[in-house]
Amino acid sequence: MFCAPSRFTWQLLGWALLSALLVVVAALLRRWDLDPGSLRWVGAVLPVLPMVGYFLTLTKWVRSLDEMQRLIQFEALLIQFGITALSVMGYGVLAETGFVPNPPFGVIWPWIWLLLFVSWSLGQAIVRRKYR
Amino acid sequence: MNNRLRVLRAERAWSQADLASRLKVSRQTVNAIETGKYDPSLPLAFAIARLFDQSIETIFTPNGGPDA
Repeated sequence: MFCAPSRFTWQLLGWALLSALLVVVAALLRRWDLDPGSLRWVGAVLPVLPMVGYFLTLTKWVRSLDEMQRLIQFEALLIQFGITALSVMGYGVLAETGFVPNPPFGVIWPWIWLLLFVSWSLGQAIVRRKYR
Repeated sequence: MNNRLRVLRAERAWSQADLASRLKVSRQTVNAIETGKYDPSLPLAFAIARLFDQSIETIFTPNGGPDA
């Protein structure tokens, strides 16, 4: 069944897009040497600021849910935590032993974000089936 | 826990969405309560009882019957 996106969905999407846009702008400024070295940290930190708005909106959204929906989110977050913790730990251990590449954290963190989002969506799909 | 929510709702010709809006919960929550997949909290059970003007015990009964 199609479920119309709520205002929270649009707000979350807006914060995430703003953050992604600032990541791209900061990367372009660095590439073109347009940011003065002493202010380079400003460009680096700027994309993090919309994520504050993202988490405040996320908190408001969870507080707007009814008791069963909150339970679903709680169980979905447990699944997300389990998948992400095991994956990151597993990869870290394998990278330390040289079985898989060991890229710098600057390359890894967007993939961790993706893993968080995918495992949360998977968790919601699994838990919602239980209450359907 | 068993409940008579579906029967009570049908008697008033309310849809799940109608009941959900009166209880300020989602339609999925009403459906999960009706199918016995989710047991409501005490405050929500009281809200349901108030809405149907009945006591909680006449709407909700333990799985093994009233004395279980």
